Amino acid sequence: MEKGRGMKLLETVGLTMSFGGLVALDDVDFSVGKGELRGIIGPNGAGKTTFFNVITGYLKPTKGKTLLDGEDISGLPPHTISQRGISRTFQITNIFPEMTVYESIWAGINSRTKQPWNPFVRADTIGDISRKAGEICELVGLSDKMNLVSENLSHGDQRVLEIAIALSTDPILLLLDEPTQGVSPKEIDNLLEVIEKVSQVTTTIMIEHDMNIALSLSGTITVFNEGRIIAGGSPSEISESEEVQEIYLGIG
Amino acid sequence: MELRDSSPKGGVIGGGIQGISKRIGSKLSLFIFFVVVIVLILIGPVLPPGLMSLVLEMMILSIFAMGYDILLGYTEQCSLGHSLFFGVGAYGIVLSVLHLNAGFWVALLIAVALSFTFAFLEGLISVRLSEAYFVIITALFFSIFYLLALSMTWLTGGDDGLSVEIPPVSLGFASFSIYNSLVNFYLVLFFLIATYIILARIVSSPLGRVFISIRENQERARFLGYNVFRYKLAAFILSAVFAGLSGALYAIRLRYGNADFFSFMWSVNPIVWSLLGGMGTLIGPCIGVVIMSLFQYYVSAWWSQYLVIVGVLIIVVLRVSPKGIVGYIKSKREEALSGEG
Repeated sequence: MEKGRGMKLLETVGLTMSFGGLVALDDVDFSVGKGELRGIIGPNGAGKTTFFNVITGYLKPTKGKTLLDGEDISGLPPHTISQRGISRTFQITNIFPEMTVYESIWAGINSRTKQPWNPFVRADTIGDISRKAGEICELVGLSDKMNLVSENLSHGDQRVLEIAIALSTDPILLLLDEPTQGVSPKEIDNLLEVIEKVSQVTTTIMIEHDMNIALSLSGTITVFNEGRIIAGGSPSEISESEEVQEIYLGIG
Repeated sequence: MELRDSSPKGGVIGGGIQGISKRIGSKLSLFIFFVVVIVLILIGPVLPPGLMSLVLEMMILSIFAMGYDILLGYTEQCSLGHSLFFGVGAYGIVLSVLHLNAGFWVALLIAVALSFTFAFLEGLISVRLSEAYFVIITALFFSIFYLLALSMTWLTGGDDGLSVEIPPVSLGFASFSIYNSLVNFYLVLFFLIATYIILARIVSSPLGRVFISIRENQERARFLGYNVFRYKLAAFILSAVFAGLSGALYAIRLRYGNADFFSFMWSVNPIVWSLLGGMGTLIGPCIGVVIMSLFQYYVSAWWSQYLVIVGVLIIVVLRVSPKGIVGYIKSKREEALSGEG
C-alpha cells in the first residue's frame, strides 16, 4: 500500500457518453491514485452517476477509455469489471431485500472464491467465508445485526450494508454513489465514520450531493458540471473556488 | 465470528427473524421427505394396482416438479416450455430403444443427454431475455417442437404415438423386467430419492446460494462479479435434465410415447405445481403434484371440468399465501418460533 500510494489506480481518457443528442459525459479526463479517498460533487444531472455507470460497465462509453492499473477495461461487462476489482454501491438502495445481512455479504465473498460453482460442498461449512463475513460486519459495525433480514434494517443501516456488500468482493477500488442519500441526520455520522474507515482499507471514490458533507471528508474533491470536470482540489480550495460557488449558489 | 452465529438456533438476535439459508436448510422439508420415502418403500408391495399407478405418476412428476423448482423457485425464470424437455426425454427413450436397440440404462442416458443438449441450445438464446420475453420464447420453442412432433409421423408416430418394448433393467447381478410394476415402482422411487438428494445438496451449496442471490437481486449479483447469464443457463439446463428424466420415466411407465408429451399441458403443469405447493422449497412443488394428480384421478371421475376447481383452489391458496402451501406452513412455523423468542 505504502509503495503504491500516489500511483494512478484508475484513469479515464476522454471519456464521453452521449444518449442521442444529450451528452452526459463530455471528454472526461479523470484519475485517482492508490489509497485515495476522492469525493465527487456536482449538481443534479452533472453526470456523476453516469460516470460510475460507464466505469463499472453498466454503460458502454461512446468514446474514450477507462484504465484500471494501466489496463483498458472500457466496454467489459459489469461482472468482469467487478472481478477486476472495481466494486460499487448504488444511488437507490440496491441490496438483497430478503436475505440476511450475513447472507448478503456471504454472496459477495463467495464470488471471489474458487468455488461459487461447487454444488457438492455445504455452503454453511465454508469457514473462510464465514470468518471474513464476520470481519466485514465488524468493520462496518453490523455485527449485532448479522442475522437480520436486510429489508427490516433501518434506511441508514441499509446504506451501510450496501457498502459492506460492495466491500465483500475485496475490491481495489470502491465506488460509492451518494451513500448518504436519504439517511437521517442521526445516522449520518455513523455512516461517514464507516466510509472513512473503509477508505483506509481500499481506494474509494464517493459521489456526494451535499457539499458540506463532501467538504467534511478527508480526501480531495472533483467537481462535475454538465458532464465535465470543472474543478478539483482540497476541500478548502473547492470551497473558495468562485466557479463552484456559482454553480451551487448562483445558477444551480 | 463463528459460523454458527448464522444458523439461528433460537435466534441469536432479532427475535428469531430468519434468513433464506435457514429456510432452505429447513429440517422440516427433510423430515417430510424421509417419512414419505419410508412409507413408500414399505407400502410398495401392498399397493393395489390402481393406487400403484397413481403413486407412480406422482413420483415421476415430482422429479419434474423439483427440477423445475430450481428454475422458477431458485432463479425466478418462468419457463412456459418445459414440455419440450419432457417430450425429448420421452422420445429419447422410445426412439433409442426402437431404432438403436439400446439397453435400458443406455436409452435412459441418451434421453437425459438429449434433454441436456436441447436445453443448452435453447438456453443460449432464451436465458438472456428478461421475464416476459423469456416466457414467450420458451413457449415458442415448445410449440414448434409440438407441431413438429405432430407432423413428423414417420419419426414420432404423431398423435397415435409409438409403442415400445422396454428392455429389462439390468443391475449387473440380475435383470428385472419393468413390466413387473413393483420393479417400476422401486426404480422410480430410486430416481425420486436421487433427485431430491442431488437438488437439496445443490440448493444448500455455494452454487445454490448464487442462484438465490440472482433471484433476490440479479443486478446486484452481476455487480458482485457473477456471470449471471451462465448461472441462469446452468439452472435452466439442470431443470431441463430432470424434466427429461421425468419424461423418460413417464414413457417407460406407459411403454409408449406420443406427441402429447410436448403439449401445452406439460408446460403449464410445472408452473401450477409450483404455485400451489410453494416455490423455492423443493418439497412444495411435489405437494402440488400430489394435489393435481388426486384431482385428476378422483375428481375428474365425477366431473370432467375438474380443472375449474383446481383453478379456484390455486386462487384461494395464493390469496392466503403467495408462497403456496409449504410457504404458508413455513411462515406459520417461523411466526411460532419468533413468538417463543
